[in-house]
Amino acid sequence: MLSIPVERFTLDNGLRVNLSRDRSTPVVAVNLWYAVGSRNERPGKTGFAHLFEHMMFQGSEHVPKNRHFELVERAGGTLNATTWFDRTNYFETVPSHHLELALWLESDRMGWMLPAMTQEKLDNQRDVVMNEKRQRYDNQPYGDWDEWIQAMVYPETHPYHHTVIGSMDDIEAATLDDVAEFFETFYVPNNAVLTVCGDFVPDESLEMIERQFGGIPRGGEIPTMPGELTLSPTIGDTVRKRVEAEVPLPRVLLAFRIPPYTNEAYYAADVASSVAGSGRASRLYRSLVRERRVAKDVVSHTLPLTTGAGMFLVWATGFPDSDPAELEAALAGELEALESVREEEIQRAISLTETRLVSEIQRVGERADLLSMFDQFFDDPARLNSELDRLRAVTPAQVSDFTKDFLGPDNRAVLTYVPAETAANAKGAS
Amino acid sequence: MSHAARTDPPLPGVIRSFDFPAVHKDRLDNGLEMRSVQAHRLPIVTVSLMLDAGEASVSEDRAGLAVLTGDSLEGGTATHSGTELAEALESIGAGLSVGTGWDATMVSLSCLPERLDEAMNILADVVLRPAFPADEIDRVRGQRLAAIQQRKMDPSSIASDAARRLTYTEVTPYGRSLGGDVESVESFSSEAASGFVEAQYRPENAGLILVGDVDQAEVKAMAQRCFGDWSGKTPERPSQKAEPRSRERRVVIVDRPDAVQSEIRIGHIGQPRSTSDYFPLLVFNTILGGAFTSRLNLNLREEHGFTYGVRSGFTFRRDAGPWSISTAVGTEVTADAVREAVAEVEGLLQDGPTQEEVESSRDYMAGVFPLRLETTGQIASQVAELLLYDLPEDYHATYRERIRSVTRDDALEAARRCIRPDEITVVIGGDADVVRGPLEELGLGPVEVEKA
Repeated sequence: MLSIPVERFTLDNGLRVNLSRDRSTPVVAVNLWYAVGSRNERPGKTGFAHLFEHMMFQGSEHVPKNRHFELVERAGGTLNATTWFDRTNYFETVPSHHLELALWLESDRMGWMLPAMTQEKLDNQRDVVMNEKRQRYDNQPYGDWDEWIQAMVYPETHPYHHTVIGSMDDIEAATLDDVAEFFETFYVPNNAVLTVCGDFVPDESLEMIERQFGGIPRGGEIPTMPGELTLSPTIGDTVRKRVEAEVPLPRVLLAFRIPPYTNEAYYAADVASSVAGSGRASRLYRSLVRERRVAKDVVSHTLPLTTGAGMFLVWATGFPDSDPAELEAALAGELEALESVREEEIQRAISLTETRLVSEIQRVGERADLLSMFDQFFDDPARLNSELDRLRAVTPAQVSDFTKDFLGPDNRAVLTYVPAETAANAKGAS
Repeated sequence: MSHAARTDPPLPGVIRSFDFPAVHKDRLDNGLEMRSVQAHRLPIVTVSLMLDAGEASVSEDRAGLAVLTGDSLEGGTATHSGTELAEALESIGAGLSVGTGWDATMVSLSCLPERLDEAMNILADVVLRPAFPADEIDRVRGQRLAAIQQRKMDPSSIASDAARRLTYTEVTPYGRSLGGDVESVESFSSEAASGFVEAQYRPENAGLILVGDVDQAEVKAMAQRCFGDWSGKTPERPSQKAEPRSRERRVVIVDRPDAVQSEIRIGHIGQPRSTSDYFPLLVFNTILGGAFTSRLNLNLREEHGFTYGVRSGFTFRRDAGPWSISTAVGTEVTADAVREAVAEVEGLLQDGPTQEEVESSRDYMAGVFPLRLETTGQIASQVAELLLYDLPEDYHATYRERIRSVTRDDALEAARRCIRPDEITVVIGGDADVVRGPLEELGLGPVEVEKA
């Protein structure tokens, strides 16, 4: 039903280019996906892909420190970047007459970043990133959940075993040599997808892209990821971790290994997760929150990862006097009961997903990001247009089979948070 | 094709004009204002019902009533349970959202255009005929009490809640927690919710906003069917004026022993949405702390590495919301960060921004304007603000012009009237043992310590 146009090109240096035109508003999004993320980090270098992303904003040969932000903001644009397991993305949305400025900035740091790197800039951004870690993880109730969950769902030899933010020690130990090596290995045109989406003139914009990016030399072969990439489809057991921490309410998280996003079987997992926890008519909300009132809130989603296995994740936050064992049993019970999923539940879940997707892609920046993703993961940006059809094709029998194969006790990581005080009282009483 | 000489940024191309989409005005006989906006880009429509039912209209002993009532709307009607309503809405792809603020309650949903009639019917049923069954009221109350517990242990909320309380007098609603306190939440009941709906969910002073692929005549007929029988008017708003708690500069530490970071809030009472200084203040604040390249962020983050980020801003409401600087910094550098932040404010007020900064700030604000209007939901919120704050009809059409006409003197004079470094309250949520001494040495004013 979606018909987002997209034209593909490849520059001689290997840069893949997608152009998706929409003249309804005079704005344009520039979006770059580099196929590098925390999965590419070697032991002792965790958090480096993300630290490197910060260094990309510290200037390049023709762009002094802070100038990148100044130029985009002055142009009336917004910008940012994020780092994830499988990729790092950089993006600007600007008034359409400033398209070439955004392309110039992105190409300058793709081609000419290293001459601008200094120890002072690295020291500064290490401090910024360590404060980011404190603010978003260390100083947050439940803030270390992903560290525990990833370590239980993926073996130590697998690249998803460690978090994107990484460890303080590793961030502290990063050097300028690391920056140079990472740049030369991964930040090359043949490891990137560039999407331009919004208001532009096709021939002109392709000339701009060639002018700005064409002179950047192709890089070498991208090295394979470190570690053992293949892993068994399930965890093989129920693994548990109980954390007594400064948290206000007990919380139980359940995580499962699932097929990777690049495998057709992923879609049944996605639909199962929506039936479980998307919307107020979903099973977990209805049962745990509304009817039994054992949970204050529930969350369910899948991580669409591409290397070996993805993840199915649910959690429920209890009330002050909740029994975490009861919460765990309630979550596990509802997930196992997805075996009896009904057609109408699937319909409902997909209808909500459809509205959400269409709302999201009203923004050119979101649309550009999805086109880049479908290009990097599937070598097919236009797959965005048929994504809903793949969800609609999922049958109740497939969700039922997925439930039996992946949501049982032989594939379960359980993380339980208990308020420190409650834990102390319980000990005192025993 | 030739490759670029890279030394200078490329010149901009030909600018294309942007017009805020036309807003069609209408009104039902019962006083319900209607606004519809055509947006055809994708097959989606957003409908929002704005009710004159903000938390500021609630008395202190019932604090949280507007929020709790809004949260309880999903509990069902006389004829349908909450789950039945959710199933009906979600089967057509519509998720209902209820947002309650100080000035209004907004009930919204988005769906495919061909399902609008069904969706609007259910939305009307939920708002006009809520049943508030006792077990649903119990549930919402329990969830809110648990949320209060959560805020008490969340470092950012601890600092924000203290800052709000310390900015306003006890009788100013803005000093309270938006969702109420333990005592007021415990007194919430079905009767209280019904009473609030009876008084505040009324078509006069309410607005129905539709944005998307819609036909004006059709949506008016739909609205007439759904809302035509509704009637009444909300009571006069209380004339309580927002007053500051203190005009003396001071520092309050909310103690969190062993915290790895300090959450910092620096500010005082700000201005109402109706202030004639609105545009100059926006320009000035963008320079101070409203953009990545603001003075505060370049100093605290890019020069010193104290923080992941820092922002400042005015929160404009019907009455004077706060003006505040907000950041989180490493515990050891807390006093350094406060010193730098206060110095940036004082320096900018003393010497004024450069002409270059003023131009850059104006260009930024004018340029990002269309980016805030990409989705039907964003457009609906903007149109709701027109109604809520009684803004002129040409507000969006002239927005960029008005931003661009702000001079350096306009911005500086407005800021000198409205930002007063001698009256700031500095709130630190952090480890008092470590941060107290250095904060006292700054000599900003008395330093008090509270328990978290």
